[in-house]
Amino acid sequence: MLEQLKPILEDLTAAVILPGAGAALVAALLVIYLERKLTARIQMRVGPLYVSKRLAGLLQPLADGIRFFFQEPIIPEGVDRAAFITSPALAVAVLLAAFAAIPGGPGVAPLQSPVSLLIVLAAVAISPIPVIIMGWASNNRFSLLGALREAILNTSYEPVLLLSALAGAATLGTLDLTKAVEIQAHLGIPGIILNPLAAVIFFAASLATCDRIPFDLVLGEQEIVAGPYTEYSGILFGVAMAIDYLKLYILGLVFSILFLGGWLPATTWPWTALVLFAKALIFMTAAVILRAVYGRARLDKALRTLWHFYFPLAIISLIWSQVVTYIISLAA
Amino acid sequence: MVERIGGFVARELGERNGLRVLELLVGPQHPASGHMRLVVYLDGDIIVDVDVDIGWVHRTMEKLSEVKGWVRAIPLLERMNIVDSCNITLGYVEAIEKLMGLEPSERAKYLRVIMCELNRISSHLYGMGIAGIFLNHSTMFMWAFGDREVWVKLIDMITGARLTHTYIVPGGVRRDLPAGFKDYFEKAARYQLRRLREYAKVFLENPVIRDRYENVGVLPPSMAKKLGIVGPNLRASGVAYDARMLGYEAYAELGYEPVVRREGDALARMWVRVEEIERSIELIREALRRLPEGRILAEKVYRMIPPAMRSVVDKGVSKFPGMFANLRLPPGEVVTRVEAGRGEIVYHVVSDGTPTPARVRVVTPSFRNAILLRELAIGERLMDLPAIYGSLDHFPPEADK
Repeated sequence: MLEQLKPILEDLTAAVILPGAGAALVAALLVIYLERKLTARIQMRVGPLYVSKRLAGLLQPLADGIRFFFQEPIIPEGVDRAAFITSPALAVAVLLAAFAAIPGGPGVAPLQSPVSLLIVLAAVAISPIPVIIMGWASNNRFSLLGALREAILNTSYEPVLLLSALAGAATLGTLDLTKAVEIQAHLGIPGIILNPLAAVIFFAASLATCDRIPFDLVLGEQEIVAGPYTEYSGILFGVAMAIDYLKLYILGLVFSILFLGGWLPATTWPWTALVLFAKALIFMTAAVILRAVYGRARLDKALRTLWHFYFPLAIISLIWSQVVTYIISLAA
Repeated sequence: MVERIGGFVARELGERNGLRVLELLVGPQHPASGHMRLVVYLDGDIIVDVDVDIGWVHRTMEKLSEVKGWVRAIPLLERMNIVDSCNITLGYVEAIEKLMGLEPSERAKYLRVIMCELNRISSHLYGMGIAGIFLNHSTMFMWAFGDREVWVKLIDMITGARLTHTYIVPGGVRRDLPAGFKDYFEKAARYQLRRLREYAKVFLENPVIRDRYENVGVLPPSMAKKLGIVGPNLRASGVAYDARMLGYEAYAELGYEPVVRREGDALARMWVRVEEIERSIELIREALRRLPEGRILAEKVYRMIPPAMRSVVDKGVSKFPGMFANLRLPPGEVVTRVEAGRGEIVYHVVSDGTPTPARVRVVTPSFRNAILLRELAIGERLMDLPAIYGSLDHFPPEADK
């Protein structure tokens, strides 16, 4: 009986705890901490310190999160109440669904599918829609402009993200995330060496997807206050802020699986999930640390960069993937 | 035009000058408005018009100085711009001196130049930090504000106060240089010059930042002259005018050459500030080298101080003569102009022989430059507005007085 239940339990734990939803929360808190601490280091500051001084301020993001729970969520007059309240949750729900298809180890996922990569990317692709609803429901011009930016930017980064992910998958010859790791284990070479171009473009596109500097246009504080989240407060704001980190974590997992050899060198669950988690964390840290170097790109120039520079490069990386698979087939 | 923007934003559209536009209230409660409001009219992403709504921090400085008394108005006027307090009050003190027929001592002139330039450096660093965060470049923000601390410390060393030090008093300055100041300054100067190169690497030559600044908010020299623009914003447009060229205090002897750039865009304005910091460091070096010996107060004021107190002044700490408390100046009218951190500040002071000024008219550089927030923004994109604002180094409390 217990033997029969074990795989189901593993699958569920993978989706709900590691590397799924629970780990996403931990990753978000850790990355926010690292983001603040590392940028503080670069900027000659101390960064978070006074919450849990012995842990060098490690619990600061958690304290901030708890504070959101106890803060009154103010719902302004004139907003579309139903849409205003549900859309942050909707965005998170859509993104959490992606964890069903992300394997936490060899065959450890509730949803085994030959196209699991597409399922994950689809979840990420749907998530801007609730954000646009937020902007629309808020009855605030800054929110509206933020939602517009999200819509415009989404149409530009999405093709680049999809193409680079497909290039990475095509190099390995599969859309199944579990299989992608197996193939890398078989070849003994991680995807980033097989197709570095796709990896770089995927990273850049994820910055735009997750609203990270230099593509942090949706939350353009200096122009549009907080974009679609301007009118949000309390836990609703906390949830809204979590969307970007959640996306970043999911893309980090996808990046680790496609380009960094997934859970290798570990082979048994739960160690595989832990390795995957660590690799995603490195990806996230690399994405957030750019804030110390860059400012915000201008909207039109960001769009031009995405279409005129990254999009053609993404197509080249797709061609590259075909060349690489051809060479591999010759070698085999 | 209507067809182009309809749909998603249509319900928010209003009308202005016959155009259907989106009215956006940037400020006074906005992360990047400062103490002011910009009413921005947008056609899509393009700025059609901007109403610069200033006056939110008007503190009636001109009127208050009419009741404060001559000397007591100095700390008041300093509050116009506390990051640049020395340059801001210098013009007023010069006006008092002209009315009194007082010539500051030679040493005091050099000390004034030193303090003014120290203030200018810290003021420019403040502006650069703000410009950095306007582009969401937090590193530039933190670096500039962190390094500004070095200069604030130096000011603190001389005057005993970080910002509102009221260093310049009629007839001279409040304190002499502390012992070993030259070495501290050299250390700070070397550090700052090294840091300026690092700023260039991380900020001014950063491709993303150059994208934001280059050819944005271009101010042609003809327009700059027509609008009466002053300060680094004028010099970045290729007009070599700087009130320091008039040679007030010790500037004539130090031989000041203004920093000029031709491009007139936001990037040029930022570079002018960086180069002015270098130029200010040179000026202070030169002033410290040539610093004449002598008292920090004019002979006339020194003789008005009771003999028992004169030994304190000899030690380098100013004492006011009793008559300063209710100073009466001979009737007259004086205009002074001084180059503050953000440009030329003009004082028109009228005395009618009473213990208070009859009129103190101040024209501050930020006030004169405020019009640029409209003129430069029209035709640019919404995202360029903070870039332009930051590059202008606009300081609302100074504009509002």
